[in-house]
Amino acid sequence: MLLDVTGITNLTSNIWELCLSGPFPYQRVQAGQFINILINQGKDHILRRPISIAEVDTNKKSLTIVFRVVGQGTEWLSQRQVGDQLNIIGPLGTGFQLPAKNSKVVVVGGGIGVPPLYQLVKELKQKQITNDLTIILGFRNQADCFWVERFAKLGQVLVATNDGSFGTKGFVTDLLDTKANYEYLYSCGPRGMLQALKNHCQGINIQGYVSLEERMACGVGACYGCVCSSADRKLHYRICKEGPVFNWEEVAL
Amino acid sequence: MSNPNLAVELAGLKLKNPVMPASGCFGFGREYSNYYPLSQLGAVVVKATTLEPRLGNPTPRVTEVTAGMLNAIGLANPGVEKVITQELPWLAKQDVPIIVNVAGSTEREYCRVVEEISNSGYAQAIELNVSCPNVKLGGLTFGADPKVLANLIKKVKKVSAVPLFVKLSPNVTDIQDLAIAAEAAGADGLSLINTLIGMQIDIKTRKPVLANKIGGLSGPAIKPVAVRMVYQVAQVVKIPIIGMGGIYSGIDALEFIMAGASAVMVGTANFTNPMACPKIIKEIADFMAAEGIESLEEIRGCAL
Repeated sequence: MLLDVTGITNLTSNIWELCLSGPFPYQRVQAGQFINILINQGKDHILRRPISIAEVDTNKKSLTIVFRVVGQGTEWLSQRQVGDQLNIIGPLGTGFQLPAKNSKVVVVGGGIGVPPLYQLVKELKQKQITNDLTIILGFRNQADCFWVERFAKLGQVLVATNDGSFGTKGFVTDLLDTKANYEYLYSCGPRGMLQALKNHCQGINIQGYVSLEERMACGVGACYGCVCSSADRKLHYRICKEGPVFNWEEVAL
Repeated sequence: MSNPNLAVELAGLKLKNPVMPASGCFGFGREYSNYYPLSQLGAVVVKATTLEPRLGNPTPRVTEVTAGMLNAIGLANPGVEKVITQELPWLAKQDVPIIVNVAGSTEREYCRVVEEISNSGYAQAIELNVSCPNVKLGGLTFGADPKVLANLIKKVKKVSAVPLFVKLSPNVTDIQDLAIAAEAAGADGLSLINTLIGMQIDIKTRKPVLANKIGGLSGPAIKPVAVRMVYQVAQVVKIPIIGMGGIYSGIDALEFIMAGASAVMVGTANFTNPMACPKIIKEIADFMAAEGIESLEEIRGCAL
């Protein structure tokens, strides 16, 4: 389907926010799902770029994505202007399973893994699923921080930066109190961060859900390009289909 | 305007049109059935099936290159038993001929899978995968030497009740030798080309991008190579040829048909556009109508 670019904003040196509107099954979006974007009519770039949905507004019929420029495809995407159209497929994949009502939730995002958690947090508030919500965001440094205020409107936000230039110096794990009796943890970020979080939470009774990333080809589950291993390493799951969100007990991080 | 007939016949296999998704690019059909009825296709060619389940290679398994992609999936599949019990029964209900791609690492393994698939009654044809560049054993071991290939085909033919298409690799010195050997050994048809072996290096990590280091190159980048090879093979065999390699449009498909292919397979294009196959079918029909072509037989091999 073709969506109109209605806004594009530079958030950090290499991270962009892109707003889209047009015919899209907004109602069907599950937080944590992604869209697959065709780059420049697929002429040179034949693989679509999978980008997580950061926010969806069913009333305004718009959706927001946030992406980091990592190569020519995302660079092209960052050069889109209001009025341009994007050919997209979605929503794709399996998103976050929402927590039980009124449970104690912690959401942990790292870098470009932060945005998909926004739609989740928004839903937790709007659907009045829980008010007991802690948001932990990790960035490399102050210059790389984005969307902190946006999250702060929805709940208590703790920020860690590697160099301490914003928030607490250290890692997201330093801000995650394992004695706080969190019942659910939702996270998206670098694989190393997800591993550290799981180790950090070992021995406590918490349901952990993590959003994984991998190079994709088809994005719809047909090519088996983007697999991850089950926890016992006997099976593979498709990140684009069974994922990108998994219960962290199910997968080998 | 005339009403073009897109139907083709391949080794007794009647297809309503010459367009089918290529093995490995379409899973077992379920995912793309969310985009259009699979009955629109000439046939569906399912993912390579092996005797035992295979997890495949470590990730990254795919990466984009200019006008193409590299893959090193490594024949990930649930194994022939699950393919027969869990995948093919569903696909058989979609009103489209099924071609099962069979891979193996020994002659015995190929024969057992072909026999089981043939006996299952679900497959209208089998495509013998002797050209996968991404596995250590089998694959290209059987597809690079005319004698070894001929021996395998002879054995497999004995246990198959359905037509056997042999998928040829472009990673050989002389594809004509392989094609001639395959025909002489009893292949009912040939499909070509599989991917070309390639590599991409990440200059930041200073290492190959793919965990497997090498992968198969597909997409528009390989089309001229594929057209040339179909043209060369069409000169030396009489059995039908299914052409593939970077087909994205009706124009691309017609090039292969004019080079001598009776039908075409569409691979990577499905990833770029899930509606690629129906689009290509329509574009072929439009061309035939515009040029007053009533049957594809009129133009098959016309460039030779």
